Amino acid sequence: MTTEEIKLTPARRTAPIEPPPPPEVPDDSSSQALSDALRSSFAIIKVLMIGLVLVCLGSGFFTGGPQEKAVILRFGRPVGEGEKMLLGPGPHWAMPYPIDEVVKIPVGVMQSVRSTIGWYATTAALEAAGQEPPPGASLNPERDGYLFTGDANIIHVRGTLSYRIKEPGLQYAFSFSNASNLVQNAFNSALVFAAARYRVDDVLTHDFAGFRELVQRRLVQLIDQQQLGIVVDQIALQPIPPRQLKDQFNAVAEAEAKRGKVLNDARTYESQAINNARAQASQLKAEAQGERSTLVASVAAEAARFNHLLPQYRANSELFMRQYKSETIHRVMTNAQEKWVIPPGQKRLQIDREPPKLKTLPQKPAEPGHE
Amino acid sequence: MKYNSVTIAIGALLLVIFATLLFMFQVRTTEVAVVTTFGRPTRPISEPGAYFKWPWPIQRVYKVDQRIHNFESFEQVLTSDGYNLLLSVYVGWNINDPKMFFPRFGGSESKAQSSLEGLVRNAYSGVVGRHPFVHFVSTEEKELKFSDIENEMLQRIQADAQANNYGIQIKFLGIKKLELPESVTKLVFERMQSERQVKVSEIQYKGESDAAAIRSAADLESAKLLAEAEAEATTIRGLGDLETAKSYDVFKQEPALANFLLQLRGLEDFLKERATLVLDLETSPLNLLKSAPSAPNTKK
Repeated sequence: MTTEEIKLTPARRTAPIEPPPPPEVPDDSSSQALSDALRSSFAIIKVLMIGLVLVCLGSGFFTGGPQEKAVILRFGRPVGEGEKMLLGPGPHWAMPYPIDEVVKIPVGVMQSVRSTIGWYATTAALEAAGQEPPPGASLNPERDGYLFTGDANIIHVRGTLSYRIKEPGLQYAFSFSNASNLVQNAFNSALVFAAARYRVDDVLTHDFAGFRELVQRRLVQLIDQQQLGIVVDQIALQPIPPRQLKDQFNAVAEAEAKRGKVLNDARTYESQAINNARAQASQLKAEAQGERSTLVASVAAEAARFNHLLPQYRANSELFMRQYKSETIHRVMTNAQEKWVIPPGQKRLQIDREPPKLKTLPQKPAEPGHE
Repeated sequence: MKYNSVTIAIGALLLVIFATLLFMFQVRTTEVAVVTTFGRPTRPISEPGAYFKWPWPIQRVYKVDQRIHNFESFEQVLTSDGYNLLLSVYVGWNINDPKMFFPRFGGSESKAQSSLEGLVRNAYSGVVGRHPFVHFVSTEEKELKFSDIENEMLQRIQADAQANNYGIQIKFLGIKKLELPESVTKLVFERMQSERQVKVSEIQYKGESDAAAIRSAADLESAKLLAEAEAEATTIRGLGDLETAKSYDVFKQEPALANFLLQLRGLEDFLKERATLVLDLETSPLNLLKSAPSAPNTKK
């Protein structure tokens, strides 16, 4: 550029001396303007070009998130072999499109699908309002979903499956045009499969946990067979009886509750009766034991007394007996509450008086007189 | 000169890019491709990467998605024992042979799906029609052929697809819905209703009879406990009698004395409480009140 300026300046200076060629004057200014314009636009283009190249190279930088893996496809083919093709979190660089393509796989991110093939037709608006459309007399297979149980009953079940992409996630990312759709269908299929072998009451109440377990087992089996490359995290299911028969199902539940109560009452009676019997039995035994020891003790005491008295008796039986007898009679007479003495010859005794009232019952009336 | 070299370099680069675009093509890892020469498929490509081709109009590249697609079908079928079932299956399929697939379907997946639909329909009538209703739905594990039916349908469709040279592969098949015609659901509801009523009375009856059984068992058990206790008590008392027998031996030394003591004891016990004695003056020691003492004379 400087060389051109230098070249041009002498030409201008010599202009007054030598007549300049007539076409040069307009040429001179226009070419100058043109070259100026060219020059500045070249500069702008250069800056732009350099900028573009930088942007182009810079756009190759990307960062992997904490719960995702990235794969670089160079000319459509994954870069690296096996596990090495998976790029973890952190900055990475890829060549610009169309050479490289970065595919991010959200490994470890919880995803979920819902199954409504077993649910009656409803709308999101009604659902949000907590309402349901009024049940019709029958179920239209075009609109209403339901499951058919092993004992040929109709029930509604809906569910949510939470799952994660199994490492390395290549299968899930590259093998299916719509993987979540297939996951949902596997879930649906597992529900139909499990319902087809369960009794209606088992699904609804008695063995709901077993039903859910079976759904999960079948689902895992299908995932393996179809190589969906996911891990089941949780299955939530909601079963209800058909709304058309709500009252009838409630009646059964009530009857079961009542039965439970009746059985509980019976069990209470059972434990009370048996406890009572046990108590009574041990009392009987204790009494017998008591009687036994009393008897043994008293007879032993009697025997001891006998042994004690025997020498006296042997010494003089007549005297001993008389003495002993009168002692006893004396004691008896002292203890007696009332004593009547009838003079000799009197044969009759008149008793007409209130029997003494004692605190202790039963009171025998005074003995009739004896002759 | 400097501009020229830069210009040449840029020009060459552009030329290379242009030539690359003309002569090269990419096959993504999710795709398979077929190269046609003058309209005839000549080279199938199943591995991802960059490939060379002659520019149009000599050669053209058709790429198809080789990922597994989801196809669903819904059909009313008759079981072998005459039940109408509304069956919905889903099929996972993909294109595995672009060379066969391309001339038949022109690379169109939707055309392939409609052919697939025909295959699935054949499988419905061919497979489901040979199974009775209990193979689908039963509480008896032995009767159920649910997975078998799925497998039979799958094999049938696979065989048909193979035989027809569709260039597609059926990966899996599952029943995702099993329903009854609308009019039948009404009948099912009626049956379910009467079943519920039977169930209610069954539960009531069972509850009462179970409760009665529990009660009578409890009564029996307590009666048994008492009887056992009674027997044991008798045994215990018997033991007591046995133990006293030794003591009774003592009394044998002098039965007269024993008898006498026993009588006295009896008398004393008999008149222990609230007794009223009516005696005449002959009784000892009241006879002392009379006059001369006489021989003692007891009177009970």
